[in-house]
Amino acid sequence: MAAGMVLARPHERPTAFDRMLAPVHRWIWSDTDRRIQKLLRFGETETDGGRDILRAAEVTSDPLLRRLYLEHAIDEFRHGVLFRHRAAALLKVSASHLNSGFHGDWLAPGGHGLDDLQVDGESDCDMLAFLHLSEKAAASRFTVYRDVMQNDLLTRAVFEEILRDEMFHMGYTLTQLARVEPRRHKRHLWHARLSRLWKAYLRLASGLAGILGSFLLTIQYFVFLPAFAWLAKRAARQEPSGWTTVSPGRGDSLDRQY
Amino acid sequence: MNILGISAHYHDSAAALVVDGVPVCAVQEERLSRHKGDATFPMLAIESCLQQAGIEPNQLDAVVFYERPMLKFDRILTCALRAFPRSWRAFPTAMKNSLGEKVWVRGIISSQLGVPGRKILFTEHHQSHAAAAFLTAPTRRAAIMTADAVGEWATLSVGDGERMLNGSTRIRRFREIRFPHSLGMLYSTFTAYLGFKVNEDEYKVMGLAAYGRPTLVDQVRKLIRRTPDGAFALDLNYFEFHNTAERSYSSRFVELFGPTRNPYEPIDLDTAEGQRFADCAASVQRVLEDTLVEIARVLHQETGLQDLCLGGGVALNGVANARLLAESGFERVFVPPAPGDAGCAIGAALYCDRIHFGNPDRDVPDHPFWGPWVDGSELARLAREDSHFAVELQDGALIDQIADDLVAGHIVGWMEGALEFGPRALGHRSILAAPHTTEMRDRLNHEIKYREAFRPFAPVVPIDAATHYFDLPPGGKRLARFMSGVFPVRPEWRSRLEAITHVDGTARVQVLEPAMAPRLHALLEAYGQRTGIPVLLNTSFNLAGEPIVNRAVEGYSTFLRCKIDVLVGGGTRVIKRTSATAKTEAAKLKEEVA
Repeated sequence: MAAGMVLARPHERPTAFDRMLAPVHRWIWSDTDRRIQKLLRFGETETDGGRDILRAAEVTSDPLLRRLYLEHAIDEFRHGVLFRHRAAALLKVSASHLNSGFHGDWLAPGGHGLDDLQVDGESDCDMLAFLHLSEKAAASRFTVYRDVMQNDLLTRAVFEEILRDEMFHMGYTLTQLARVEPRRHKRHLWHARLSRLWKAYLRLASGLAGILGSFLLTIQYFVFLPAFAWLAKRAARQEPSGWTTVSPGRGDSLDRQY
Repeated sequence: MNILGISAHYHDSAAALVVDGVPVCAVQEERLSRHKGDATFPMLAIESCLQQAGIEPNQLDAVVFYERPMLKFDRILTCALRAFPRSWRAFPTAMKNSLGEKVWVRGIISSQLGVPGRKILFTEHHQSHAAAAFLTAPTRRAAIMTADAVGEWATLSVGDGERMLNGSTRIRRFREIRFPHSLGMLYSTFTAYLGFKVNEDEYKVMGLAAYGRPTLVDQVRKLIRRTPDGAFALDLNYFEFHNTAERSYSSRFVELFGPTRNPYEPIDLDTAEGQRFADCAASVQRVLEDTLVEIARVLHQETGLQDLCLGGGVALNGVANARLLAESGFERVFVPPAPGDAGCAIGAALYCDRIHFGNPDRDVPDHPFWGPWVDGSELARLAREDSHFAVELQDGALIDQIADDLVAGHIVGWMEGALEFGPRALGHRSILAAPHTTEMRDRLNHEIKYREAFRPFAPVVPIDAATHYFDLPPGGKRLARFMSGVFPVRPEWRSRLEAITHVDGTARVQVLEPAMAPRLHALLEAYGQRTGIPVLLNTSFNLAGEPIVNRAVEGYSTFLRCKIDVLVGGGTRVIKRTSATAKTEAAKLKEEVA
């Protein structure tokens, strides 16, 4: 740690927001099918996060950060395996068919949650600040998940184990940020916080735009398409099966997109 | 003349640069972005190609996209209309997906590269496959067959190609089979049914097939009937890929073949359920092979040609390729190193050069090494920074040392020269090991590749020794050049080549000519001198779910995360500190910084 720098130690305590949502989390995790889906999703998220952090290890020029990122990535890959194995074990006894439905993904996100990470081109400081906040948020949520998992001790144990690693991840990212950028590390943290907020806004906006777009397209589908659909089906019935001859010169012009 | 070929937006995007009629660089986006199967617009790949050739975008004479986006959109829209009203869920997603980016390709290329719209051209998808197969093959005249899941409308096409004496080139497509009737979709549907990832894990179905018996062929033939003109048609009652995005098989399909496999449960081949899945794989594999062979046989009779060039994702099926060579009547079968969509980047660029611009034919170097080069000194620096043992050796000493390592049972991560283009590691980004025992196979599966036990490993053998160990038919050496065929291991060698002999006694062998990868060839010879068998196990240098490594640092980080014993990059050899020391150091590091 940089001389004279006093940094708050990471602590295992959920944020007020996550504590407030505890009843929702309890409800989400109470159903085995949802639990399986969420664990599988967490498994994917952790593995994806591991790949991103591995990439960070590959692009940094700082040898100590490279080693730490690599350890971090290995932890994330292991978490992915832990989640998947636990989901597979639950799947074996639950006779679930992994059907889609409401799983509360937005309400109960995974390790790196919904954060999007662009590793190439990020400075070490930005990367560390981003990782620190992501790990902190994940630790807060995982603490709640662990606490609501009273009736499933094995899944609880998985969260317990992962939480121990998250504490290390939160700790090293903060101390390394202070080492790499002793004077402006707090500014980087604030920048990362604002960036997370901006990304959250973008996600929300694009999500709403997506819903609106789907709604409008669905209306168009039922209002405008039936006549064309009838024509398309009639044409399909008349289409011969088997070979279609390629007329000479069909692909000769490379200017056309159709 | 500088021509850039691009394939993008569906799976495995790539870029390729052809300068004065010869490819100078081709690379898949995933190798640079490090996202497996990256389908985004391949900006990194494009930059890499331009950088390697030392040219700027404004020096490009043409940029060719590998398919016609509006024709593809036409197919997507038409299928949605035909499936009305069942397609109501898929329709908004499909439209948002297509209208968001995929149909505006000319604008995207123009804005990303600053190239005027008039320089941006489009080939048809199967035209690109055909060009990639024919224009990279060392043959003057050949029949061409392309087969994949789907391009714009075509799913399979047949035709021929000819390099004329006056230097001009001709590629013709006689006829095609159109979506939704598709061999690729049939195989992918079984891939999904068997709990594997579509467009990624089809080779697992092929590997699994060897454990099964084709007892369900009659059921598979209910799904695909032959038409009177020699083509085929799928019975769409068994499929849903053409009208929903959720799944590719219908409830009738499940009634016919039984419950689907849970993708999170390993396949246990000792159970009846596991055997049923293997039998499904064997049956669809058999039907795929039969169909391809029959179509190719007719094509052979029709053209009277000796050579067949195969393209499209289906050409990655080495078992089918070997049957095509044995039974279709063609004497030689050419499969490019990247027959899938990534390879279309090179195909589109070459088609544009030879056919559109009418440039004279040029021989295309017959190797797969078109990517960025590895830097051995970078590897040495990284290893020394982390206190691993790194030495830089001259070629002869390095080869001797690595041969000794392999004889001692060490597993070697091997990086040299330019990165391979295509899905196979063909000796420049490979994991090499002794091929003799099942213990080695299991070690690789469990400690390095972290993959299913039923999947086989491939061997590499010098061309002069190939027929001694493998039962290669005439033309087999050519097909095995880029690991495109599966052939029997000679029975007398199977017990000494256990790690690369699949359960059915075959191997997807790579036959290596010295000129293609001289150092690997020298290593095979050195290994042969020590053991009497110049064969090595050769598998791609990556871990499960990751793309093949590209730069030294990626090989290095992979090396540190698994139990590869020795890493070679250029002339640098790296070995790890002992695992006990490494573990203690890692724990100490965690303690110190936490």
